[in-house]
Amino acid sequence: MQRPDWAPDTIDIERPSVARMYDYYLGGSHNFAADRAAARAMVAAVPDAPLMAQANRAFLRRAVQFLAEQGIRQFLDIGSGIPTVGNVHEIAQRIAPESRVVYVDVDPVAVAHSREILSGNDRAVVLQEDLRHPERILAHPEVNRMLDFSQPVAVMIVAVLHFVPDEDRPDEILRTLRAALAPGSYLVLSQASDDDRHDTGEREEAEAVYQRTDNPLVIRSRRQLTALFDGFGLVDPGVVWVPQWRPETPESAEDAEKAVFMGGVGRLGG
Amino acid sequence: MASGGSVGEHPDDPSGPSAPGGPCPGAPACCPSVFARAWAKAVSGTSYLPMTQAQLEALLHRLTGRLAAALVSEPFDVRVGHQVGAELVAAHIASAEGLGRTIEVIQLRLLRDLGLVTEDVEDRMARLLATVATGYARALRDRTLDEQESIRRAAMVARAEAERALRDSEARFRHQATHDPLTDLPNRTLFTERLAAAIDSPGRGADRVGVCFLDLDRFKVVNDSLGHQVGDMLLVSVADRLRRALGEHLVARLGGDEFVILVERTAGTDDVVKVAETALAAVSEPALVDGHELTVSASIGIVERPVAGTTPVDLMRAADATLHWAKADGGARWSLFDVERSRRELARYALSAAIPAALDRGEFHLDYQPLTSLRDGRVLGVEALVRWRHPELGKLYPGSFIELAEETGLIVPLGSWVLAEACREAASWSSFGAAAPFVSVNLAVRQVHRPGLVREVRDVLERTGLPPERLQLEVTESTMMSAVEEPVRALRVLADMGVRIAIDDFGTGYCNLAYLRDLPVTELKVAGEFVAGLRAPADDPASRTDERILASLVSLAHALDLTVTAEGVETEGQADRLRAIGCDAAQGWHFGKPAPAARLLERLSAG
Repeated sequence: MQRPDWAPDTIDIERPSVARMYDYYLGGSHNFAADRAAARAMVAAVPDAPLMAQANRAFLRRAVQFLAEQGIRQFLDIGSGIPTVGNVHEIAQRIAPESRVVYVDVDPVAVAHSREILSGNDRAVVLQEDLRHPERILAHPEVNRMLDFSQPVAVMIVAVLHFVPDEDRPDEILRTLRAALAPGSYLVLSQASDDDRHDTGEREEAEAVYQRTDNPLVIRSRRQLTALFDGFGLVDPGVVWVPQWRPETPESAEDAEKAVFMGGVGRLGG
Repeated sequence: MASGGSVGEHPDDPSGPSAPGGPCPGAPACCPSVFARAWAKAVSGTSYLPMTQAQLEALLHRLTGRLAAALVSEPFDVRVGHQVGAELVAAHIASAEGLGRTIEVIQLRLLRDLGLVTEDVEDRMARLLATVATGYARALRDRTLDEQESIRRAAMVARAEAERALRDSEARFRHQATHDPLTDLPNRTLFTERLAAAIDSPGRGADRVGVCFLDLDRFKVVNDSLGHQVGDMLLVSVADRLRRALGEHLVARLGGDEFVILVERTAGTDDVVKVAETALAAVSEPALVDGHELTVSASIGIVERPVAGTTPVDLMRAADATLHWAKADGGARWSLFDVERSRRELARYALSAAIPAALDRGEFHLDYQPLTSLRDGRVLGVEALVRWRHPELGKLYPGSFIELAEETGLIVPLGSWVLAEACREAASWSSFGAAAPFVSVNLAVRQVHRPGLVREVRDVLERTGLPPERLQLEVTESTMMSAVEEPVRALRVLADMGVRIAIDDFGTGYCNLAYLRDLPVTELKVAGEFVAGLRAPADDPASRTDERILASLVSLAHALDLTVTAEGVETEGQADRLRAIGCDAAQGWHFGKPAPAARLLERLSAG
């Protein structure tokens, strides 16, 4: 019997998962031996990798805080991974308890874990879907039950777009998502970048590590990242190294390029 | 971020702004907030802290107060250090580096920044650090174990979900693979599986099995007149009715308008006949399909037999053949498989299938039967009659294979062979000069209706050198029944060439004399049935009737300038009476049985 294309995947924890590697960088223990081995290889190649993950996580926290202060009460976090420390709903709901959050991830283990964490919270849900199929995400009944697209929504695509190769048309993905959003909606984007970073061979080694996962790494420049905000008005300070995006203290923005991640926040006008 | 810095250094500006929420804004250096800020700086970057710098300092400020209290309280309370360690971990300051820097900053700065002096302060500090480290390590271990457990549980849940989804999808796939998408009935695959199972592994009391092979009558008409969509809807409706009526039996759709019903554990034929009748009744219920009230009927072939010694293929082949019997009998009925009938059909089929090879191998030959003048006893012509010297069945007469050859179309090559062979042999009789008989060859309907007949006859005559007037073609009345012009035109061309045209079996078919107007017929051959009546005594009423019919036919023929040959003349008496009514010629055992050309030639030579 030949397997039809809609047959689901099986779960293989022997294969490193980028979501659980990220958890390891953040100091979590929601990971397996294969994840830790891959993450340690990454740290050996790029010693700052954990700092990058932390800086990116901090960017997410500041961005959500900013959006909540702007009055955003609906969040669609695509590529949410293992939502352990400092996840979107905790930050948003601390500021505005009525905030609604939909997490989306392609990793079934991350989704199962998120579901456990979110049980009992009727304003935050998780669903398994692939960023590369935004139309499916937008058509998902849970998304439509939780989010009102006639009102502003913040779409978060944080530390995940570097797993989407150009042939999967990230620009098309963002165009599809943008078309569904009401004026006043926001896009939060961050991904691995190498602008102005001295090439130490780390990039090649990092790419080699991620070849072992289901998600090879695609590094993009500031210019490419800025282009992806097409249709959105960039909020100050634009696309920057993530520690430079509205830092809490001036010193926390020092050596910002070590963070490897660049990011920004854009607002849909009108 | 990311700079742990050296925890031992004094802040450059001890009077700088303290943490928001700190207990003593603007306080001097001997203040918990200075220490808390140094502590915060020490641990930041050791792991991700889901809080702002201010929140971190507020937390550490609170913990600083507890540490300070523990250093001076009497007696020394180990629980404080444990709790502080645990709280650090709970606040996600939960890495090895976080602990190391915490120990370091407390040891180096706590007493100094808070201006604490007690008697046994070194001793107490050591114990405090030990309890903080212990509490921290315990909490971190618990947290690690909890997280491991939680991610492992998530993996198990995800795997269970994936497996369930896989099972669901496989079930779905299996359903798709075994069901017909239009009607959702089981398909051929599932039916074949179930039939094979019933035959190969019969359960208790399941040593017989039955199959109803059902096909809608004239379904094509529905498709052609109302469209395929209505046709499909009708199939769905029929499927529903069959499913409802025969719930306990497996009903499958094999494709098109073919359905099949598996009847397991039968006790005999009657069980399956009952099922077939139920199915026929269900199919014939009027159905409203897309606004059309449609009533359809079906034909069913039934096979019921012991499972021992049969195979699914045998059973389905038998059911298929039986279905055709029901169709041939007019449809809207069931037909029961009959071994004898099937054997006969198979034998007939085998025979017809053997004709082409038999032609190649020269297994056919011709016998000739004389057509004798009733006036002077001269042999006017001979009728060519085909024989088959079958390698296994022996000599076969046309009765056993011509009808088959007509059904299968093999009559065309066979008829061509007969025509060519008859002409070839007849051409060699030219030595008899004017006395040489014509040869009469039967043409089947298909041969006459086939384009190219004229050319074929002309070619044969040219090739053999037989003069056209020494060839007679016998056609039946039914050949002329067709509304098609072509055969009549072809025969007229042949007649114009000089070929004789005879109507065979005249007076027995559907008799439309109109063709006699258009067709240059030379001769009528009167069927033996009328002639047979002449064997009875002349005063027998029935015999007299036959004689009058024959007399009328003869006078009709003569009025049209046709000659009449009577077939089946077996006695002298018949010959005399035919001669008396003016019949021109006769054929039959009385004048000579069919025989090979050589024997005939001997007779002609002798004559």
